[in-house]
Amino acid sequence: MKTLVLAIAAIAALTAGAHAQSYKIATEGSYPPYNFTDDSGKLGGYDIDVGTEMCKRAGVECTFITNDWDSIIPNLLANNYDAIMDDMSITDERKQTIAFTDPYFPPDPSTYLTLSTTKVDYANIKGMKLGAQKATIQAGYLDQNFKADNTILTYDTQDQEMADLNAGNLDIIFLDGSVVAEAVAASGGKLKADGPEILIGDGVGVGMRQSDADLTKKFDTALAAMKADGALDALIAKYFPEKAGGPFYKK
Amino acid sequence: MNLIETLLAEIVRMAPAALFNIYFAFAAIPVGFLLAIVFALGKNARNPLLNRLSRIYIYFFRGSPFFIQLFAFYSLALAFNVSTWKPLGIDWLVLNPLFLGPAILMLNTTAYTAEIFYGALITVPRGEVEAARAYGMTRGQRFRSVTWPNLIRLAWPAYTNEVVFLFQTTALVYFTLPVIGDQRDLMNTAEVLFQKDYNVFLHFGVAAGYFLAISLAIFFLFGLIYRRLMRHMPQQATMRFSWQRLFGQAPQ
Amino acid sequence: MLVDWLPQGLKDILGPDVIFWLGYITNGKHLNWYASVQYTLAAMLLGGAVALVVGVLAAAARNNGPRPLRWLAAGYINIVRGVPDVLFFLFFPLAFEQGLEWLYSLQVCTADTLALNVGKWPPCPAANLSFNSVAYLVLAGVSLGIVYGAFIASVVAGALQSVPQGQLEAARAYGMSRIEVLRRVHIRQMWVYALPGIANVWMSIVKATALLSLLQIFDFVAWAQRLGASNFSKAAGLVHDDWRWRYYLVLLVFYVLVTFVSEKIFSAIGSRLRRGMPMAEQGLT
Repeated sequence: MKTLVLAIAAIAALTAGAHAQSYKIATEGSYPPYNFTDDSGKLGGYDIDVGTEMCKRAGVECTFITNDWDSIIPNLLANNYDAIMDDMSITDERKQTIAFTDPYFPPDPSTYLTLSTTKVDYANIKGMKLGAQKATIQAGYLDQNFKADNTILTYDTQDQEMADLNAGNLDIIFLDGSVVAEAVAASGGKLKADGPEILIGDGVGVGMRQSDADLTKKFDTALAAMKADGALDALIAKYFPEKAGGPFYKK
Repeated sequence: MNLIETLLAEIVRMAPAALFNIYFAFAAIPVGFLLAIVFALGKNARNPLLNRLSRIYIYFFRGSPFFIQLFAFYSLALAFNVSTWKPLGIDWLVLNPLFLGPAILMLNTTAYTAEIFYGALITVPRGEVEAARAYGMTRGQRFRSVTWPNLIRLAWPAYTNEVVFLFQTTALVYFTLPVIGDQRDLMNTAEVLFQKDYNVFLHFGVAAGYFLAISLAIFFLFGLIYRRLMRHMPQQATMRFSWQRLFGQAPQ
Repeated sequence: MLVDWLPQGLKDILGPDVIFWLGYITNGKHLNWYASVQYTLAAMLLGGAVALVVGVLAAAARNNGPRPLRWLAAGYINIVRGVPDVLFFLFFPLAFEQGLEWLYSLQVCTADTLALNVGKWPPCPAANLSFNSVAYLVLAGVSLGIVYGAFIASVVAGALQSVPQGQLEAARAYGMSRIEVLRRVHIRQMWVYALPGIANVWMSIVKATALLSLLQIFDFVAWAQRLGASNFSKAAGLVHDDWRWRYYLVLLVFYVLVTFVSEKIFSAIGSRLRRGMPMAEQGLT
């Protein structure tokens, strides 16, 4: 028994890495413009830039790792990493298992994305194929409101639902407004978003374990500083050129 | 007892999901069975084109993972949506996981079953075939009276194994194809429930239990059929749970 | 970037389009993809090695062990054959990590830290084990090995029975002890009968490595999915439609190639094992 414990301790020591002030932040890596892997293989995006700056101001060392959306919360709870920055909306359901920092993106209503050729009566959506990413606030909203008269398809990643929309297998997808705006701008007229905007959730925050209250506070302070001196606004302008109405935080 | 209540509740919750897995497997079997005969005969054919095509098909589908086949065929089908399926009006069918899943499963199981049937085909007693020829039977009569009965009898144990593996592979279908509404299979339901309370052992354990139970049921059913197939043979043959009796066929 | 090293003359001959695509398939993201083959291959080899060890041990226990060990081995073999490997893949690393943490917490956690963390996992913060990606790769290989070890156990059990009894009896007659007979004659002669079955199980292990991406291991498959995904954001790189089926085709060809090479290797091993043996060729299916 003793040798077993020693062996486990050895494994823990080997795999732990530098504990002091070094944290791992998980992101999906395939949710542009919040996070993506660019063509040189490096992680980039709004979440990564905000996270790097936030850690710098909090005086801690952070590395970003990728994890699929499905298991991003369970792996946080299993202590595989210390924070989640993946355009994760603050909801009451999620607050039951994890904690959040203050929001680091202005309130972002979700909206509908369709092909330019699709005509949709948004007051009365019937018999259409709607898509959303699994386990997101948008999937929950579609499930609550449109299940009765429409077909709802859920996908593992954002690009899968985009591919299905572009190939005509879906009529409408329901996404964060900030992502929709960028997608419409980049599509050169192929996509349009003329549906209503629906605010779900309480903003986008960094997901933390409930037991890490100190770290959460540190991150909150850093984010507040970034909001006050315009750093956050600069990043929003960089990654979301279509988002009108800035600056959002700098007084 | 609390544990038994939880287990029973879990079993009841997962029961409808098991139907999806069973549906996928049994929707893929009939056409797969028939096509496998075609490919097995093709692999044994003297015509070099037929021979080559059959071998390539079997090699390709046995040599690549089913997981990737699912992804690949879904993307391919999607790529043809605008150009082919929509004009024909069948896009609702082709891209529906309830059709596409069994379709790709069918392509996969055809290759494995064809290999099993081919192995049995070359082991059919030469003497019986020659006797049938000597009697002047046509090719069709020969196949129906001599080759086919021997083939199915020789192949049945390995084929049973293949059906069990097919059933287990259906677990992968909803990992790759989009989930429509609430149509979830066992693995998907286990994952959704796991996301709620992070209890690995309960949800995946019950799902594993379902797979095990249905696999055993398949073994039992096919064992009964085997007994009927062998009813005229000298000793009472039963299919045992053992590998060495099978054609050395391993899981995909 | 690698394209920059081509001589200008060659660049002129190929033309700007070809140069662009050459540059694209050698950009950093693609190079990561090619490099990730090592994880897939590592998992294959580790899985195969563990499966072989576990399989031989389980077969030995099933046939020759004491009664409870025999039941354990039989139970292991039958249960693993009845459950899909993907389920083991998702279940085993989580369960293993939790199991290790529980064992560790028994020693490391004091009563008061336990009281503070009631209802949470791990039982106390000191018992937390954080695995890095190498550890997860090893864990994945071990999961593969445990699942396919059951199949190898069946193959080896059958092969052990196929060794001609005469050889074993002759060895005993010569005065070798049971262990010596096992070691020098039985197991050595068993391999040639086990080889076709082991080759088949190896093919299954090769194909099972496609599931590594489900364990958050960035292997060949995971990168291909990310590369093929349609991209609308210029910041993220080249804007393109859904290219997935092209990348999946490459994956399929890769696996067929590995199957092809494996078949050749097993064929060579088979011929070597069979040298000097007067028995009929057992073809690999």
